[in-house]
Amino acid sequence: MQAETPRSGRKALLIITGVVAGLLFIFVGLAVVPRVLAHYFWPIERWYRSAPVQPIDFPHPSHVQVGGIDCLFCHRTVAKEAMAGIPPVEQCMFCHKIVAKEQPRIQMLASFAERGEPIQWMRVHRLPDHVHFVHEAHITYFTRKDGVLPSQVCSTCHGDVGNMQRVQQVRSLRMGDCVDCHRQNGAPTDCFVCHY
Amino acid sequence: MVTTRVRHKWGMVVDLDRCTGCQACVVACQAENNIPINLEQHFLQRRAIEWIRIERYWEGLEEAEKTGDLSKVKARFIPILCQHCENAPCEPVCPVYATYHNNEGLNVQIYNRCIGTRYCVNNCPYQVRFFNFWQPTWPESLHNQLNPHVTVRTRGIMEKCTFCVQRLRKGGRKEVQEGKRLDDKEFDAQSGMFAPACARACPTDTLVFGDMNDPNSRVSTMAKDNRNYKLLASIGTEPNVIYLKKVDLDASDAATH
Repeated sequence: MQAETPRSGRKALLIITGVVAGLLFIFVGLAVVPRVLAHYFWPIERWYRSAPVQPIDFPHPSHVQVGGIDCLFCHRTVAKEAMAGIPPVEQCMFCHKIVAKEQPRIQMLASFAERGEPIQWMRVHRLPDHVHFVHEAHITYFTRKDGVLPSQVCSTCHGDVGNMQRVQQVRSLRMGDCVDCHRQNGAPTDCFVCHY
Repeated sequence: MVTTRVRHKWGMVVDLDRCTGCQACVVACQAENNIPINLEQHFLQRRAIEWIRIERYWEGLEEAEKTGDLSKVKARFIPILCQHCENAPCEPVCPVYATYHNNEGLNVQIYNRCIGTRYCVNNCPYQVRFFNFWQPTWPESLHNQLNPHVTVRTRGIMEKCTFCVQRLRKGGRKEVQEGKRLDDKEFDAQSGMFAPACARACPTDTLVFGDMNDPNSRVSTMAKDNRNYKLLASIGTEPNVIYLKKVDLDASDAATH
C-alpha cells in the first residue's frame, strides 16, 4: 500500500499538467494566434476606412462640387465649438422645399421633416470618451498659419470629403497620429491637453 | 499670426476668515465634474468621492467639556481640495506615470493611463485622491445633467480635483483667439467664465483662483498676506493652494497678527 501513494500522486500531477497545457493550447489558439494573424493580414486601414451605410444616402459631391456649398454652411459650429455639428433636418429643408423635390431620397427626407423626427445618421469619426478634441482650436490655428478659409482646413484630417460619395475616415486618428501632428506644429504634447 | 502660449501657474487662495461652511463649493464641484452620487454607506466605508470637502472642527471643545461652558466653542471650516503640490508625494509612486506635474503647475491625473494601483491615494497626505470602487451610475433623470466636457470615470481608476481644467482649456483658446493674457476679471467669482466651479459658486468669495505667475494678480497679492499658511507645510509638499488664517478680534490671537 505504501508504494501505491507516490504513484497516484504522480498520476494527479500528470493530469494537472495535462489540463494546464490543454487550457494554454486553447488560449493561445483562440486569443493569441488570431491577433498575430490580424496584425499582418488585417491592417488598421481595413477598420477605419469602412464607410458606413447611412439611413439616407447623402452625396457630398453634389452639394460641395455641384452646389458649391461651403462646409461651414451645414457644419455651423466647427469654427466656434468643440463639435462640428450635423445640421438638423429643418436646415436641409431650407433648400429641399424647392430643390429636387421629386427625387426619392428627398421625399424620404421630407417625410422625416413632416414627422419632426431627427435622422439617425451613422457616425463615421469617433474618438474615445476620454479624448477631448476641439475643432475650434484646430481651425483657428490652421487658418492663421496658412492664411486660408476655415473650410479649407477640414481636409487635413477628414480627407477630400467633397468628392466622397459615402463618407469614410481617411486617417487613423489614433493617439500617435495626433501626437505626430502636434509635434510638427509645435503644439503641446502634455497628456492633460486632451485627456481630462 | 500665431500667438505664443502664455506660461501660467495656476493657484488658489482660500481665505478662511470668509468661509461659512455652506458647502456650495462641494455641490458645484459635484455637478461640474460628473462626480458620482455619494450615499451614506459610501461615507461609512470611507469611499465617498468629493474633490472638495469642508472639514469642520470645534475649537476649544475639550476645555469647554471640562468646564461645561459651551459658549466659547467655535466652529472652524476648512475647504480641502487637491493642493496641486510642487513636490507632490502622489507623483513618484505611480508605476505607470498616470499622475505628474504639468507645466501649468497642475497635478494631473490621466484616466486612461491609470491602472488603479492606489499607491497615490495612500501616499497623499491630504486625502484628496479618490478611487472608483464601483462603476458610477446616475438615475435616468440626471443623464442629461452630466457635463460633456469632463470624462465620466469608470470603475477601477483614480480621480481628483483638476482645477476645472475644461474651463482653463476654454480660457486658453480664448487667449489664442484674442491674443491677450487672461486677467483677473476672467477668474472673478461673479463674472469670470473660467474660474473653477467651486470658486464661482462661493457666495463669500473665500476661494480665489488665478495665475501665480502674474505678479499683479489677485492670488499673488493675497498669497503675500501675513495670515498665509500652507497645509502640512512641515512635510515640504509646497502646495499651490494657500490658506489665510482666520483671525478672531475677541480672541487672544488677535494680538499676534
